[in-house]
Amino acid sequence: MSERLAVGLGPLVLRNPILTASGTFGYGLEFADFVGLAKIGGLCTKGLSLKPHAGNAPPRICETPAGMLNAIGLQNVGVEAFRKEKLPKLRAAGATVIANVWGDAEDDYVAVVEALEDAEGLAAIELNISCPNVSRGGMLFGNSPELTAGLVARVRAATGRPLIVKLSPNAPDLVACAKAARDAGADILSLINTLVGMAIDPETARPRISFGTGGLSGPAIKPIAVRMVYQVARALPGMPLMGIGGIAGLGDALEFLAAGATAVQVGTANFKEPGIAGRLVAELDAYCAAKSVAAAALVGRAQAGSAAAREAGAEG
Amino acid sequence: MRADHRARHLRTERYGPGLFSSILEAPALARAVRPGQFAMLEVPDRVRPYLRRAYSVADASPESGEVEFLVKTIGAGTAALEELAGGSALRLLGPLGNAFAIGDLPRGARVAVVAGGIGAAPFPLLYRALAAAGVSGDLFLGGRGEKDLSFRRRFEAIVNGQTHLATDDGSLGERGFVTELFRARARRTAYARVFACGPMPMFRALAKVIAELGLAAEFSTEAEMGCGFGVCLGCVIPAADKPFLVSCTEGPILPPEKIAWERL
Repeated sequence: MSERLAVGLGPLVLRNPILTASGTFGYGLEFADFVGLAKIGGLCTKGLSLKPHAGNAPPRICETPAGMLNAIGLQNVGVEAFRKEKLPKLRAAGATVIANVWGDAEDDYVAVVEALEDAEGLAAIELNISCPNVSRGGMLFGNSPELTAGLVARVRAATGRPLIVKLSPNAPDLVACAKAARDAGADILSLINTLVGMAIDPETARPRISFGTGGLSGPAIKPIAVRMVYQVARALPGMPLMGIGGIAGLGDALEFLAAGATAVQVGTANFKEPGIAGRLVAELDAYCAAKSVAAAALVGRAQAGSAAAREAGAEG
Repeated sequence: MRADHRARHLRTERYGPGLFSSILEAPALARAVRPGQFAMLEVPDRVRPYLRRAYSVADASPESGEVEFLVKTIGAGTAALEELAGGSALRLLGPLGNAFAIGDLPRGARVAVVAGGIGAAPFPLLYRALAAAGVSGDLFLGGRGEKDLSFRRRFEAIVNGQTHLATDDGSLGERGFVTELFRARARRTAYARVFACGPMPMFRALAKVIAELGLAAEFSTEAEMGCGFGVCLGCVIPAADKPFLVSCTEGPILPPEKIAWERL
């Protein structure tokens, strides 16, 4: 791999723009057989809470056309077990680790971030304010610009690390939430989390997931995610973005970069092809070599002067 | 070691409508797999099913490099598998999950193998291992009717104990549930272990019989899996001593006493 893939997102410099999304990559170690953890741009951990969390009752997932619904409910080992059992191994593997964190209330988020503040080997914090599958916290913050601003400001004060805020596509006004997060101190925005969806068994007339609704992910949501990245990039020029949503091939990653993302996170495709992140790094490298272009130069190419750009309601 | 294998479809053995064996060439998987383990199988270039599907490995031959899956057609993925042409390329992630415990059984021991319908899928490979270990296994095979068990000839040459058949409608073997047939036999036979796979109602009934008779058992459980290697956490099963077991990594082979049946 080469320097031509390196990208900078504000204070966060990555060896390349291919990362893996929270909730689809475990704690990274599960993928060591399939992906060189030191080769990818970074990995976002399963959402960490202060205490271990059991998650929702099964059934938790169901497949839908070109994607899936999930309502795992943020099952995780808790921040202490992550620090003791996972992080040292990730450091030894040379991984660039982004800790995804969540809580029921502002205090919980702050407590998790504080518990990680002196941990060695963390590149950034990703704030999950957009999980649709818990009854408290999560998406409730991300759907409100006011709650987003309040939470991000408190977490900003609690960490000196690069701070990523993961936005909800279910927010009534995505751009307002993006601005609120930026103005409250977020360094980077990642988008999108899953879209709230539902599937019902036509025979029993019962939801296929015990939680009732679930988060839709996979290639089915890619056009929505690309539009949202494009829209936020247009509205917040200069704000570093990570694009997420249905990335399953190099063309998908390039699409997000063109829309205005500086890096991308591969999600559901990790379940289907556990080696995909490593494959995309290699393919992007070959692409950039063939075109004699740096990855950073691929960012935002769809923005300048396009008719879509004018119609998207540029502001900011 | 587990890996993402490139496999080639060799042939399909058809037993009856919607029941078939798919035989693939996957030498590394054939060498590595142990009885009860599974693989995540992808029929390529499809948006539905989008994810891979978990299939128990039915049999594997390290010599020929062949891996067999015993399948019932129930949806788009299994239908695509049934229609695969010889030579088609597939991807197979495996071997995954834990395996049936056989190593501690003494030579000459006698075990029971209880299967409901296509739940018989993992047992040809188990019988191969039982034979190698000098352990005999009585097969209890049940279904709604004869049509559910059209694959039974797959077991004729490999069962090294007695075979007992039961169907709900009496069209094959004894009329009634295979769990009752098993119960009657197990009261008179000292089975060192019971290996079972089938639908949830069979598991529930069998778990009661196992507890009543004080037997040791291993169930090959089924849960909808997103990834198959412990990441998506979609396939959890309520556990007796903690909230959940992750079926794909802590199972799929689980003793019934580890499962919280009342929360299933």
